Amino acid sequence: MNALIQVSDVSKRYDNDGAYAVENVSLGVAAGDAVAIMGPSGSGKSTLLNLIGGLDRPSSGTVTVAGQRIDSLSETSLARYRRQRVGMIFQFFNLLDDLTVADNVLLPAQLAGMPKARARRQVGELLDRLHISQHEKAYPARLSGGERQRVAIARALVNSPELLLADEPTGALDTTTGEEIGALLMELNRAGQTMIMVTHNPELAARYAGRTIRITDGRIAEDTGAAATAATGATGARLGTRETR
Amino acid sequence: MSAGPVLRAASGGVTRHRAQTFVIFMVLLISTASATLGLALLAAAEGPFNHAFASQHGADAAVAVNPGRATDAQLAATRRVAGVTAVSGPFGAASVTLTSQGFSLPASLVVGRAAPGGPLDDLTLESGHWPQGPGQIVLSEGLGFFPGLGAKMTVTSVPGKPKLTVVGMANSITNTAQAWVLPSEVSALRTTSQPRAAEMLYGFASAGTNAQVRGDVAAVSDALPAGAVAGYSSWLTAKAQASNNGSILAPFVDAFALIGLLMAVLIVANVVSGAVVASYRRIGVLKSLGFSPVQVILAYVTRVGVPAVAGCIVGLVAGNVLAMPVLQKSAQSFGVGRQLVPLWVDVATPVIMCALVALTALLPALRAGRLSAVQAIAMGQAPRQGRGYAAHRLASKLRLPRPVSIGLAAPFARPARTAGTLAAIMFGVTAVVFAVGLNSSLARAEEGQSLASTAPVQVALGTGNAFRPGSAPDAAITAALRGQQDTERYVAAAFTNVTVAGLTGQVNAEAFNGPSGWLGYDVITGRWMTGPGQIVVNTSYLTQTGLAVGDATTISAGGKPETVRIVGQMFNPGSQPALMTNWQTLSATASPPLGIAQYDVGLKAGASTDHYVAAMNNALGSKYAAYGPEGGQFYVIADSLIAMLTLMMAVVAGLGVLNTVLLGTRDRVRDLGVFKAVGMTPRQTIAMVMCWVIGPAIVASLIAVPIADRLHSATITAMGNAAYTALPASFQDVYRPAEILLLALSGLAIAVAGALLPASWAARARTATALRAE
Repeated sequence: MNALIQVSDVSKRYDNDGAYAVENVSLGVAAGDAVAIMGPSGSGKSTLLNLIGGLDRPSSGTVTVAGQRIDSLSETSLARYRRQRVGMIFQFFNLLDDLTVADNVLLPAQLAGMPKARARRQVGELLDRLHISQHEKAYPARLSGGERQRVAIARALVNSPELLLADEPTGALDTTTGEEIGALLMELNRAGQTMIMVTHNPELAARYAGRTIRITDGRIAEDTGAAATAATGATGARLGTRETR
Repeated sequence: MSAGPVLRAASGGVTRHRAQTFVIFMVLLISTASATLGLALLAAAEGPFNHAFASQHGADAAVAVNPGRATDAQLAATRRVAGVTAVSGPFGAASVTLTSQGFSLPASLVVGRAAPGGPLDDLTLESGHWPQGPGQIVLSEGLGFFPGLGAKMTVTSVPGKPKLTVVGMANSITNTAQAWVLPSEVSALRTTSQPRAAEMLYGFASAGTNAQVRGDVAAVSDALPAGAVAGYSSWLTAKAQASNNGSILAPFVDAFALIGLLMAVLIVANVVSGAVVASYRRIGVLKSLGFSPVQVILAYVTRVGVPAVAGCIVGLVAGNVLAMPVLQKSAQSFGVGRQLVPLWVDVATPVIMCALVALTALLPALRAGRLSAVQAIAMGQAPRQGRGYAAHRLASKLRLPRPVSIGLAAPFARPARTAGTLAAIMFGVTAVVFAVGLNSSLARAEEGQSLASTAPVQVALGTGNAFRPGSAPDAAITAALRGQQDTERYVAAAFTNVTVAGLTGQVNAEAFNGPSGWLGYDVITGRWMTGPGQIVVNTSYLTQTGLAVGDATTISAGGKPETVRIVGQMFNPGSQPALMTNWQTLSATASPPLGIAQYDVGLKAGASTDHYVAAMNNALGSKYAAYGPEGGQFYVIADSLIAMLTLMMAVVAGLGVLNTVLLGTRDRVRDLGVFKAVGMTPRQTIAMVMCWVIGPAIVASLIAVPIADRLHSATITAMGNAAYTALPASFQDVYRPAEILLLALSGLAIAVAGALLPASWAARARTATALRAE
C-alpha cells in the first residue's frame, strides 16, 4: 500500500535558537487509516498535525501528501491544498460566529469555487448525515458543543477531502457528547476517510484509531503501526479493518 | 502605589504593538503639524500686517519735515510730546525720478539711512546688502520694480544724471521710502533749487484710527515751528493695502482649518480609544494579576501617551518647518517683511493635542478600570454577538465572490468603529474634492487675470514712454511683432485714470486699440464690448456707483465728459473701480491724448512663450521689453497651501483607515486563521480585508461630495467678497460629472491605501500562528 502521507525527517522550531517543537519525525500514513497522535501538553503533537495540514511549515524535512511536497508550496498553493485535500476539526470548533451553520459549512466549497447548486446540495446532505439540518439557519452561538463540533465536521468534509485532521476534537465536550463525536469520526473512517486525530485521551485513541503514535518532546516515542510502515511505507491502520478482525 | 508595574505594562504595550504605536505617533505627528500650520496661517491671514508691524517696530507715522524750519534739536524734542512713544530721525530725503532698463519710475522718495535697523521701521533686507559707500542704492520691495543686484539706476531729476548701483532690496512695513541710500548721498540727489527735506518716524500711544494718527501728528506739528511739518503718511494706509491679500486667503485657510481640526479630533479619538479598547483582554489579564483600577488607567494612558507625545513634539517641529516657507511667501505677498509661527500657536497646539489624547484615552481606560477582570477579558475578545449577522445574511445572497461578500458585511460587527472610519474617509474625500475645486477656481481666476492662455506675452513700454498709435515707435514695435512667425494677433493698450460721475476718486481705465474680445477677460454679467460708447467695468465700479449692467455712466479722461453704456461686469478683483473700453471711446474724452503703454500678444498654437519672448527682445533691442506671463504670488501661495493641506488630510484619513483595519485584524485574528485553514488564499484574504473598508468608503464619498461642493461654493464666494468682486459662474461650476465620479474614487483610494498594509499582514500571517493568537 502506498502512503497517502509521508513525513520525512521533519523538524520544527519556532525560534531559530529555541527548542524543537518537533524533531526528526518520520512517519507514513496510508489512505483510509485512522491514526491517533498522543502525548503530553507541549510534546509537539498539534505542531505535527499543523505541518501535515499545511497550516505551518517545517524548519527542515519534507511533508508529502498524495505525492505532492507541501512543505515547499507557496502560500496560495498551500491554501489550495488545504481547501482541496484537507478537512480540519479543532478542539474549540473555530466556527465563524457571524455566519449561519449553513454558511459556515458552505464556506470552503465557495472558496474552492464549487458550483453553487452542487455546494448547496452537498451542504444539505452533510447536515442531514450529521443530524444537524434543523440548525441550518442558526448561528453557532445558539448550538451546544456537540452540535458545533458536528458543524465543524460538516465544514471539514464539504469539499470531500482525502484527509481529515482533528485536533482534540472531543477536548471541549462532555463525555457523552465526546463519545458521540468519536463514534461519528469512526463512522467516517469506516466509510474510507483517512483521519489523523490528536488527543490526550488514551481511551479515545484506543477505541477510535487503528494506530497510535506517541510523541514526547517532539520525537516519536512509540508508533503502534511502525512495523507496517517500515514494510509498506504505511500502516493500513483502518478502523473498520481492525474491528472486523 | 508602585510605578514599576505600571511602567512595565505600558512599555510592554508600546513595544508589543509596534504598528499601533506607529499609527498613534504618525496621526499625532501629522495632526499636530497640520494644526500648527493651519493655525499659523490663520493667524497670519488674519493679522499678517499687525504681526509684521510689531516685529519690525513699524512707524505709526512717517512725517515729512522741512529741516529749514526746525533744527535737529527741536525735532528730537518732539520725543517728549504727549502721546509720542518712539522717535527715529531726522533722515535726509529727496524726491527723485529714476530710470532703469528703459523704464521711467514715478517720482520716488529716497531716504538717507546709515543702517536698516533702528528703534522704528526696522527694515528687512530681502537681498543684497545695505549701501556701504557712495553711489549705492537699496530699492524698496514696495516699489514693485527690481532690475536685479548690480543694475544701474539713473537719477534723471538732477543735472548730470548720476547713476546709482542697486546693492539690495529691502522691505519697510509702512513703505516709508521707495529707496534708501547712505545719508551722505542724499544731497547729491537734490537740485540746488530743491528745498531740503527730511523724514521723521513716530510711534504713538494711540494710533488705531485715522483721526488718532491725525491728532498725534498735529500735536507733533504744534511742538515745532510753523511750516516744519510738510505732510505725513499713516501706517493705516499701508495696512489697508497689505491686508487685501490676507483677507482673500482667510476663507479657504479657515475651511481647511475646520476640516483639519475636526479630522484631527475624530481620528485621534478613534485611534487612541481604539487602542485602549483593543487592549481590554490584556487589561483583564493585568487585573487578574492584581493591578488596581488606577494602575490600569495609568498603564493605558501612558501606553498611548508615549507615542502621542512624541508625535506631538515631532509634529510641532514639522509644522513650523512647513509653515516657514509658506509664511515667507505670504509675507512677501503681503509686503510685510518676515513672518514666524506665533508663539501661542507653538504652545497651544501641542497642549490641545495632548489634552485630546489624554481625554480620549482616559474615557475607555476609566471604563476598563471599572470592569472586572472577567468582563474585560470577555469584552476584549470579540465584537458583541449578534451584530452584523443580518448584514452577513444579506451579503451571502449577493452574486459576489465569498471573500468579498464577507468583507462587505464585516463593518456591521463594529458599528462605532465603522462610523469613525467612515467619518475619517469622509473628511479626507471632502478635503480632496474641495481642494481640487478650489484649485480649479483659482486657476481660472489666475487665468482671468494673467491672460496666460490667450495673450501670454506683453510688450511693455512704461508710462513715461507711451506714444501715439501710428508713430514711429508704434510702427517699429508692430513691425517686430509681425516679423515673428509665432505671432497670432496683438492689440495695443493705453492705461489712464478717468473721473466718473458720482465717484470722488480716480478710476483705472484701459483702452484697446483694436478688437479685444479674444483676450478672454471673464465676464460675470452682460457681455464684452463690441463697439464705441461701450464699457465693461469691475464689481467695485458697480458697487461704488450704484449702477448696473445696461446703465449709462459719464466718464472723463481729462477732456470733455462722455456718456457711455456699461455692457458688462468683468472679473477684476480689487477695491479700486476699473473699466475697460476701446480706444475710440476713451480717446473721445482724453486730454492729453492717449498713448500706447503696452501690447498684448497672442501666440500661435504650440509656440514656445520663452522662445518668443527671447526672439522679441532680440528684435526690440534695449529700449522696450517683452515679458512672458508671471504667476501671481497669491496664487503660488494658495496652490502650495492647498496641496500641502490636502496631502496631510488624505494621509491622516489613510492612517485612520489603517488603524481601523489593524484593530479589525487583531479582533478577528482567529477568524482570519479559520478562513485560511479552510482554504482562503492570500489574495482572497487581502480582498476580504480590503472590503472591510470599501463599503464605508463608498458611503463616505457619497456624503463628502455634496459637502465639499457646498464648502467650495461658500469659500469661493467669501474669497470673492474679500477681493471686492463677484465671480463668473465658471469659477463656481468647476465640477463636471465625470470629474466628480473620479474625485469620489479618492475615498476608495484612501481606503485601499490605508487598508493595504494590514491586509497584507493578515494575508502573510501563518495560519497556525493566527489560530494560536487568540
